[in-house]
Amino acid sequence: MEESSYSNLSTSHLLGSVPAVANGEKKASYEVPEANLQIFPPNNGSGGGSGRGYQTLEAPTEDFEQQAANNWKGVFSISSYTQYFNVDTDVVIYRLICSFFPATGDFFSKIDANPDLYGLIWITTTLVFALASFGNCATYLMQKHTDGTTSWSFDVGYINAAASGIYGYAVVVPVAFYFLLQYLGSNASLVRFWCMWGYSLSIFVPTAIILLIPLEILRWIIILIAGTASSCFVALNLRTYIEGPNDLRMMVVAAFLLQMALAIFIKVWFFA
Amino acid sequence: MSNSHSDTVPLHPSSQSDIDEIENLINASVQSGPATVLPARPPSPPRASIPVSSTPFIQSQIPPPPPQSSSSNQKVPTVAAAPPPPPPYVGNSSSIAATGFGPAPNTLTEPVWDTVKRDLSRIVSNLKLVVFPNPYREDPGKALRDWDLWGPFFFIVFLGLTLSWSASVKKSEVFAVAFALLAAGAVILTLNVLLLGGHIIFFQSLSLLGYCLFPLDIGALICMLKDNVIVKIVVVSVTLAWSSWAAYPFMSSAVNPRRKALALYPVFLMYVSVGFLIIAIN
Repeated sequence: MEESSYSNLSTSHLLGSVPAVANGEKKASYEVPEANLQIFPPNNGSGGGSGRGYQTLEAPTEDFEQQAANNWKGVFSISSYTQYFNVDTDVVIYRLICSFFPATGDFFSKIDANPDLYGLIWITTTLVFALASFGNCATYLMQKHTDGTTSWSFDVGYINAAASGIYGYAVVVPVAFYFLLQYLGSNASLVRFWCMWGYSLSIFVPTAIILLIPLEILRWIIILIAGTASSCFVALNLRTYIEGPNDLRMMVVAAFLLQMALAIFIKVWFFA
Repeated sequence: MSNSHSDTVPLHPSSQSDIDEIENLINASVQSGPATVLPARPPSPPRASIPVSSTPFIQSQIPPPPPQSSSSNQKVPTVAAAPPPPPPYVGNSSSIAATGFGPAPNTLTEPVWDTVKRDLSRIVSNLKLVVFPNPYREDPGKALRDWDLWGPFFFIVFLGLTLSWSASVKKSEVFAVAFALLAAGAVILTLNVLLLGGHIIFFQSLSLLGYCLFPLDIGALICMLKDNVIVKIVVVSVTLAWSSWAAYPFMSSAVNPRRKALALYPVFLMYVSVGFLIIAIN
């Protein structure tokens, strides 16, 4: 019995003899084979083979497993979140490139089958780092350009401001829209909103690099172009998602304005 | 268990080396008489042994008398034939036989210097495995078998202190940011690999990411001493490349190859942000 459970661990051929993440649920399923409704899929569903073999012993429960669409095993179990990170490198790069061209409003249809939170987390983190570092550089260049004196010192407060601003925006705004749309009767999915807003922030990363140029008027032009692109991305996608009555058009306009406000905040706070 | 493995699943190269290691240990212990299986990490020297059946007035604080040490000398050469590096502290193997994986009462009563020396030697050996070129680099599971968290702790605190010292304003905030960034960053990077469906051990990964900070520590020290911007950029770039090279094999082998870049990019991002902090703080 022990041997069969070890040979099913798909980890055993990847590492040394030390097996990874001891999966307690797996052991439970093997000790009680006649537990009918509690068959957990082994190891994030990738351990195929005899796991499904066990399931076919009780056929009606297989339907039950497939109908429960998300594998939610509780808030503190990592395997219940892996379904939102089920993307490969090329998928992420494709979605990033799509977010740079806001003309078509079909982002939601592209992510519909497999929304991911990887983009949200790492694009926001990259943006926080970019704003803090290039913001400091920009202040330094601006001072050298105007005064010629370098009484500049690295301001660590930029990191705090960037982190609270960007993380707060990226987490709170989709939640607010989700609850508002649920309240107004339209059907919304929080994960897809988070995914879309996360990818919409990706335009600001190269913008932060370009904003190093210490010319005030040029900086304003650049940030307005980037802000418009990002806001159009958000607004167009939201509009195609909410195919509904007219009063929901205010949502779209509000999303547009919020994204523009974020762009202006970035310019004013970090690249003054 | 290993035999059934070879029938169904092809062994990872590191598993085969582990199996060889275990077989050699078993053979070595069979040859050397009393069944002594060496524990994975070098045990502490059982210097001060608590007397079990002696009178209260006899204190055996001195090392055991010569007759026992000569028998241990005889055992050491045969044990040294085993592939893992012969532990420098194999003193009294007969008492090791009595206490499987590390004699508990002896580590309580040993001198503090022995404990500190043991931990320091473990830190040094882990550092050599992770950061410097060595033949075990292709075998990530073996690289930090004996992981610990003291090393990463020292390196993170040292980096925070160095950055804080070289900052001219907001010193405590700089330390707080550096420490939080590195500590939370290590945890988040490990979670990232786990969420992408990778297979790593949580604390082993934390330990590895901490040890890979060692080059950046050196870089920060040099930048603190020499304040020229060009020198700083060069030094930080070199140490950044070194840190990334150290962390690469472990991280890339932990996930599905199609998601390798997704797992490696955040590591790179964290080291670049720390590097930038080192350059910019003046």
